[in-house]
Amino acid sequence: MVTLRTDVLVIGGGATGAGVAWDAALRGLDVVLAERKDLAEGTSGRFHGLVHSGGRYAVKDPRAAEECVAENRVLRNIAADTLEDTGGFFVTTPWDDPVYADRFAEGCLATGVQCEEISPAQALREEPRLNPDISRVFRVPDANVDVWKLVWALARGAATRGAQVLPYHAVVAIDREGDEVTGARLRDARTGEETVVRARVTVNAAGAWAGQLAALAGIDDVRILPGRGIMIAMNHRLVNTVVNRCQMPTDGDIIVPVRTVCVIGTTDQHTDDPDDHTVLESEVDQMLDDGEKLVPGFRRARALRVWTGVRPLFEDVKADGTLTRDVTRSHTLLDHSHRDGVGRFLTITGGKLTTFRLMAEHTVDAVCRALSEDRPCTTTAEPLPGSEERRHYNLGERLGRKEARLADEQLICDCEMVSRSALEDGIRRRATTNLDDIRRLLRLGMGPCQGGFCMYRATGVLHGLDGMTSQQANGALLDFLQERWKGIRPVLYGDQLRQARLDDWIFQGTLDVGHLST
Amino acid sequence: MRGELHFDVVVIGVGTAGLTAGTRLAEGGARVCVVAKGVGSTHLAPGTIDVLGYGPDRVEQPARALQELIAAQPEHPYSLLGAERVEEALEWFRATAAGGPFEGYTYLGGLDRNHLLPTAVGVLRPSALIPETMAAGDGESRVCVVGTPPLRDFHASLCAANLFQAGVPARSVQLKVEGQRADANALGLARTFDDAQRRAAFCADLSLHLRGEDRVGLPAVLGLDDPHGVWRDLEHRLGRPVFEIPTLPPSVPGMRLFEILRSAFRRAGGRLVLGSEVVAAERSDARVTAVRARAAGGEMRYVAPWIVLASGGFASGAIELDSRWVTSDRVLGLPLHGVPEAGQPRFVEPYLGDHPMARAGVAVDGELRAEGCENVLVVGASLPGAEPWREGSGEGIALASGFRAAEVVLSSERAAAEAPA
Repeated sequence: MVTLRTDVLVIGGGATGAGVAWDAALRGLDVVLAERKDLAEGTSGRFHGLVHSGGRYAVKDPRAAEECVAENRVLRNIAADTLEDTGGFFVTTPWDDPVYADRFAEGCLATGVQCEEISPAQALREEPRLNPDISRVFRVPDANVDVWKLVWALARGAATRGAQVLPYHAVVAIDREGDEVTGARLRDARTGEETVVRARVTVNAAGAWAGQLAALAGIDDVRILPGRGIMIAMNHRLVNTVVNRCQMPTDGDIIVPVRTVCVIGTTDQHTDDPDDHTVLESEVDQMLDDGEKLVPGFRRARALRVWTGVRPLFEDVKADGTLTRDVTRSHTLLDHSHRDGVGRFLTITGGKLTTFRLMAEHTVDAVCRALSEDRPCTTTAEPLPGSEERRHYNLGERLGRKEARLADEQLICDCEMVSRSALEDGIRRRATTNLDDIRRLLRLGMGPCQGGFCMYRATGVLHGLDGMTSQQANGALLDFLQERWKGIRPVLYGDQLRQARLDDWIFQGTLDVGHLST
Repeated sequence: MRGELHFDVVVIGVGTAGLTAGTRLAEGGARVCVVAKGVGSTHLAPGTIDVLGYGPDRVEQPARALQELIAAQPEHPYSLLGAERVEEALEWFRATAAGGPFEGYTYLGGLDRNHLLPTAVGVLRPSALIPETMAAGDGESRVCVVGTPPLRDFHASLCAANLFQAGVPARSVQLKVEGQRADANALGLARTFDDAQRRAAFCADLSLHLRGEDRVGLPAVLGLDDPHGVWRDLEHRLGRPVFEIPTLPPSVPGMRLFEILRSAFRRAGGRLVLGSEVVAAERSDARVTAVRARAAGGEMRYVAPWIVLASGGFASGAIELDSRWVTSDRVLGLPLHGVPEAGQPRFVEPYLGDHPMARAGVAVDGELRAEGCENVLVVGASLPGAEPWREGSGEGIALASGFRAAEVVLSSERAAAEAPA
């Protein structure tokens, strides 16, 4: 058993945890970041990719709106490379209360959301697929983020400053000595090996799982109210601008263009289990109907994949306990020494991706207080690795790179233009045999064919590297196919069903993967 | 409307089933037109004639397994067709291939036993009737699997490693094929192998890498012009049996299969119109009287007393499940059979499971007549009741049902001609 000593142990490898690790590392603290699965495999990797302008909360939750305004600006600066500056519209459709638009404009003014009303005709010139019956349109600085790129940039940045990043390390126990938490025992999910981390401060950044983790520290009343939402990725960017319904936040009212697809979200269903990934047919139907309201013909477009994410909402005493979206979207930081008499243990939860940096700042401020050290936060100015040039991602980037080397670089994934060298680098860098890890890293297999063509190729490349056994390679392929199927099955209709049958033909007919030995 | 054409039979779809039906009809003297949106199934599949590979265990003797399947699954297409017709259709195909456009290129095997042929991942896949160029894949002797970068659709090391696991002494080598772009596909390589000089250079290189292996496995890229000649040349130069292993699409042996059937159809006097998607059917009572197809120059009307529907299932887009979960035949709007009821699972959780929706197809009677439509015969993947890729039954069903549809048409026409006026 290995023992690590560190200043800060951060548990939870989502945007918040990785953000805490980055912030703490920048302040010169020793950090260990532990995640039970892959980084950003929880809520962070399961949202629509929207970086809020603040507009969504301008009326309902002014504090959240103000935080979004400030953080949106900071992210554009420090995480430029992970963002695409699509801009956003708030549009009043025939189904929306026309009175809300004025309240929206007032709310934006009051909370500092940059907002400009434009004519519906102008909006339709920019987004010709939008419902032509929209009556009012506001332009806001929404953007999208490649969340895996973001979280890995945070982790990489922390690691180059000495942090240890441990994906697939689940917490087995939180260690306490008297009234103080002294660290945790971790188990490597891949090897079964255990590691003890002795930390001066332990940060619970487990998001929707924070209650479960706090319970391991003997604190039973951190009550998270998980709100499950579904999102559907559609083939193609039906819109190139983020489109929001101009109404009180509700289900299915946002379409976010991300990379080569666009994502519609979301629903809000209370669940007791943050690992609940149920997708109901009625929810899919609702999303598609909502999509029709914003983009007529939405149902005829091809749905690629559906997934669910769980909002980590912290239960407020004032909340009625059923409608999770009504709980404030601002975050909560619990210092358990004050709250529960358990020292050197902090819980950060709630919030939203757009404000992860602020959450991290507050958390590390509290860490420093606990350590009685004065270390100012520098994350508002320090660019993340890859964002040093402060240039935003643009959609044609991969294609541009590929075109430049068309003759001599082999493409493995045609849909997302992943080259063989990028795949080999990724596999080596992550030291993984899990193709789903590679998917998150490179977007391998995330385009229209959903891995139909690239998965055999990627398995062949994986097997060819570093002496992997055939059983390991077979397992990687079959695991990926099953994982992919989970996201496709609930939206199998139209052309995507046709694609799935073609993929089956390749995998079950031509390759006969159903009879691989594992 | 661009014009109107009259035939005895219009076949919709140009896969194995459509071309078999068309050829058999033309051979029987009918004036036949095959109309299709584009080439499809043949170019995607490995080019083998699979009759029954899994039932669900691996089938060794297809003849016997076929009898068992017919007894156990009365709704399966094979139960409508009968084992004897499968045998007959295979016999016809073997002869057609032998007399086909590729001199010497033959298909081997039958219903007695399945061949076990390595796939590109190295699974030994059962198949009844196979191109001669794949035959040496069936065996237990030492094999060298050759990867041909830059082909990205075949990975020799994975194939060899899995063969080794399955008890076949196998190793792999990589041998670069020059003159290809970095993401070459099988078609590009096949053109290289058609070239005698490049082939000779490849063999000279490969000979240096071979040890004592008894056989050599290559991706299925051994030529499109003269596959028999290319294959024999390789065997001669390498001094041992050589076999092809199917790759991801486009499938070179599948393209050869298409050429075999297309040339047979043309030789029999049939007419083939590609790039024409059937978009509407004209009906009168229980008959389809004409179909309209959209092509580059406009719509064309095809009038015929008989229609053979060979447009395929979900994979071709002929049968569709829409976003309101309604399933339909998009080509002729015929009733379907085997569609799971609302609330029942369409697809099950395990990816490799038996998915109920996969068995949906156009409803037919015992003579392949579409329900409620006496002059439409349904063949191939349009038929309900089978899961071709799981069962390894696609081409067997396609051949036998195409064969059967032609019989039904020709015997009805004969009966009508002989009937007193």
